[in-house]
Amino acid sequence: MTATEKELSNESPPCATNKLSNYLWEDHPDENKWADCVHCGMCLESCPTYLETGQEQHSPRGRVHLIKSVAEGKLEVNEQFMDPVFQCLDCRACTTACPADVDVGGLIEEARGQVRQAMPLTGMKGAISSFFLKGLFPHPNRLQAAGGLLKFYQKSGLQKAVRSTGALRVMPKHLAEMEAIMPEITTSVRKKYKDVEVIPAKGTPKAQVAMLKGCIMDVMFGDINQSTINVLTHNGNDVELPKNQTCCGALHVHAGDRETGKKLAKQNIEAFEKSNKVVVNAAGCGCALKEYPELLRNEPEWKERAEAFSEKVEDISKYLYDTGYEKPTSSINKRITYHDACHLAHGQGVRHEPRQLLKDIPGVTFIEQPNADTCCGSAGIYNITNPEMATAVLERKMENVPDDVDMISMGNPGCMLQMAMGVQKYGRSGEIVHTVQLLDWAYQEDQKKQPQTTDARKE
Amino acid sequence: MLFKKKKKDIEDEHLKNLAKIVGQKSILHHKEDLLSYDCDGFTIHKSLPKAVIFPKNTEEVVAAVTYCSTHNIPFLARGAGTGLSGGAIPLHEEVVISLVKMKNLLSVDYENRQAVVQPGYVNLKLTNSISAKGYYYAPDPSSQYVCTIGGNVAENAGGAHCLKYGVTTNHILGLELVLPNGEIVEISENGVPDMPGYDLLGILTGSEGTLGIVTKITVRILKNPEGKKTVLAYFDRVEDGSHAVSDIISAGIVPAALEMMDHTAIEGVEAGAFPVGHPKGIEALLLIEVDGIIEGIDEQIDQILSVCRNHNVRDVKVARDEEERGRWWANRKTGFGAMGAISPDYLVQDGVIPRSTLPKVLNNIKEISNEYNLRIANIFHAGDGNLHPLILFDSRIEGETEKALKAGTACLKACADVGGSITGEHGVGIEKKEEMRFIFTDDELEAQIAIREVFNPNDLLNKGKLFPTPSRCMDIKKVIKETAAAQ
Repeated sequence: MTATEKELSNESPPCATNKLSNYLWEDHPDENKWADCVHCGMCLESCPTYLETGQEQHSPRGRVHLIKSVAEGKLEVNEQFMDPVFQCLDCRACTTACPADVDVGGLIEEARGQVRQAMPLTGMKGAISSFFLKGLFPHPNRLQAAGGLLKFYQKSGLQKAVRSTGALRVMPKHLAEMEAIMPEITTSVRKKYKDVEVIPAKGTPKAQVAMLKGCIMDVMFGDINQSTINVLTHNGNDVELPKNQTCCGALHVHAGDRETGKKLAKQNIEAFEKSNKVVVNAAGCGCALKEYPELLRNEPEWKERAEAFSEKVEDISKYLYDTGYEKPTSSINKRITYHDACHLAHGQGVRHEPRQLLKDIPGVTFIEQPNADTCCGSAGIYNITNPEMATAVLERKMENVPDDVDMISMGNPGCMLQMAMGVQKYGRSGEIVHTVQLLDWAYQEDQKKQPQTTDARKE
Repeated sequence: MLFKKKKKDIEDEHLKNLAKIVGQKSILHHKEDLLSYDCDGFTIHKSLPKAVIFPKNTEEVVAAVTYCSTHNIPFLARGAGTGLSGGAIPLHEEVVISLVKMKNLLSVDYENRQAVVQPGYVNLKLTNSISAKGYYYAPDPSSQYVCTIGGNVAENAGGAHCLKYGVTTNHILGLELVLPNGEIVEISENGVPDMPGYDLLGILTGSEGTLGIVTKITVRILKNPEGKKTVLAYFDRVEDGSHAVSDIISAGIVPAALEMMDHTAIEGVEAGAFPVGHPKGIEALLLIEVDGIIEGIDEQIDQILSVCRNHNVRDVKVARDEEERGRWWANRKTGFGAMGAISPDYLVQDGVIPRSTLPKVLNNIKEISNEYNLRIANIFHAGDGNLHPLILFDSRIEGETEKALKAGTACLKACADVGGSITGEHGVGIEKKEEMRFIFTDDELEAQIAIREVFNPNDLLNKGKLFPTPSRCMDIKKVIKETAAAQ
């Protein structure tokens, strides 16, 4: 930021009455959140960046201390403050460890909002961030087109050509590693069900649920969205796909762009207003939807609507577990381990349900991994913005993944990409799957065995 | 790296040289980075260090210590920074030597029941690493999930199970120490217990980082007890709970742990992250654990149950399984941090009293609470008379920090007055320096300072901790007051 820019921003913050000491912009970190922290340090060993660096400013209590210090006027929102605040993976492991339930994640996101207003991203970094966060994710059509390009890249032989010419060698290492694990692009649910409002349940419907399609999920993992629909309809749910739904805004909030995050949140609240249940298959999105009341805390009218909305949001595994699901009879004879996505385990407290789902599939040998709920380093787009730390965190994660498994199951697309990278990089076995896919595959086997079911007649 | 960050170069000549010793990546010198090191678990006094360095081995510790000594730069060692008396707070712009990078388990000798660890090794990790073979490390401070064994040695840390098994000092078999002049000293190198001559391990354990920096520790490991049972008892009157504690001990039972929480403490833990669902309106609860040979346990449990019933217990139960036992302990062990859920700040005190005076002292603490108009939660090791009054306050309210400090001092005075002590396991640090006068005369303090001078003659290592300095005690009080006022 230039001196003039700084002067301008200092002189005319958007909402001068709402500033708090050196937080000059509205929506500043909430002092009641840090008032809960007594600096006991019980969070230290849960924090991946502290374990990696051993440095307190990269620990949860250290970050809370820094965020508080800005409010006390001891620090300014500057480059040095930004570093610890943006090194955080936002994995929420500290929230699980904290004896006083301090909302460290909320504080970090609010602080990032201040940093981004104090120091808007410029240059290459700004361009990339704005391309993804503002230009791409909030626009389903553009995402769709990007997905189409990726598909073209894979199917046309271009990918093969790029890989054989060594063009990847000129890319930064972490981006080349990501290219190597790009999943095969399948048809997105958005495209497939373009003119469908409700996908009917198989058999007698017992409930109607809305589904969040997500952005990355639908473009990169259209097959998982399809599996989610299959499993829901198989278990007697009519599945709505509200048209106006959009990106959940998690990545924007993580990156400090709270304004775009709020816009997206409001659009989703409206899009799902008539639905009774919102089922989500991406842990990061589900957690973000559940946290809309926190995001909209300063807008009383929206906060109320956000609260009503977040009550309706449920992860697919928990929804199935709570409402009951048919246990498949066909076997999947695989050794499977489960990785807790941070935003499922720490963010939403969902740990038992997906494990039970896996154990209910005949033939599955479930193998628990040590520290299953430590972050894999994906953390939204963290692996793109902080590749060094993300790689170190991934390495630690892979040390805990058992060697002799056929599959590694989880409930979040970001983790799936990152873990796939881990498997590839460290020459490990283990196909990366979404929990709901396994259930879908087992159901499909069941159906092959009984071609004359009521579902078949209905179709 | 795609997005490289520019960091300012080090300007200070000494820091440049220290950076050469530990490496550029292992030194912090920006104000923003140092701020996280301005206090430990004791947050009332805050002060910035000159720098923080992260040595990776004993050689780097020696080089850094030698450099600081030669150039007359004050320095101190820090572990996880969970200490509750301010032992790791830099009062004189010290160079903080953080030992968290020296965090390896070096060896385990099951035959001789000992393990060798580096100082930054986390307490609970030791038990986790050896539990598969049926062994554990006994001292279990509540912060054991995160605190380091090096820090435990410095503070002579205790814990819930120290009633039966003793505190850290009873489990230290050998130490490697870097003296303030950079010399390495090995004490009891092979971990043979009870070496003749002066008990140096005893002097060093609990010396609060004022005599040297420990770089290697040989600890005793124990075989897991054959059986274990845990009892939870609820009382409507604190006195009943206190009398039950006395009677359990005088019945000849030595429980592994005998913990107590009062009404306010229960409110805190139930508002925290690990609630148990304690019934409402309870004035005191006891958490009692018995371990040992399976055959003896049921008899002891029966005795404990009948003692509780004799003292009007409202409800008493034995943990059904390991899961329930785990929940009870998580609730207790995260108790201090959980106070954050009912109060923005707390000050924990650490008095020790003869068990028989428990009802009287708890009453005194209640009076102190009324007098200062501050809530005080009690959550403590009742079995060995180690009290932990937690004074709840809000530092944002003017004058309240000062009031809390005074209330804390009054609690310690109450302990000293019945023939007790001002600290059981948290150490003196900077917090209780003045209160040392409650239990020691000037001559006794001088004698102890003379011991410090043998190891740390120039007082460069962790200066200003542990003892009140006659000429400076007034200044220190002033500093604390100023800090309190500034907040």
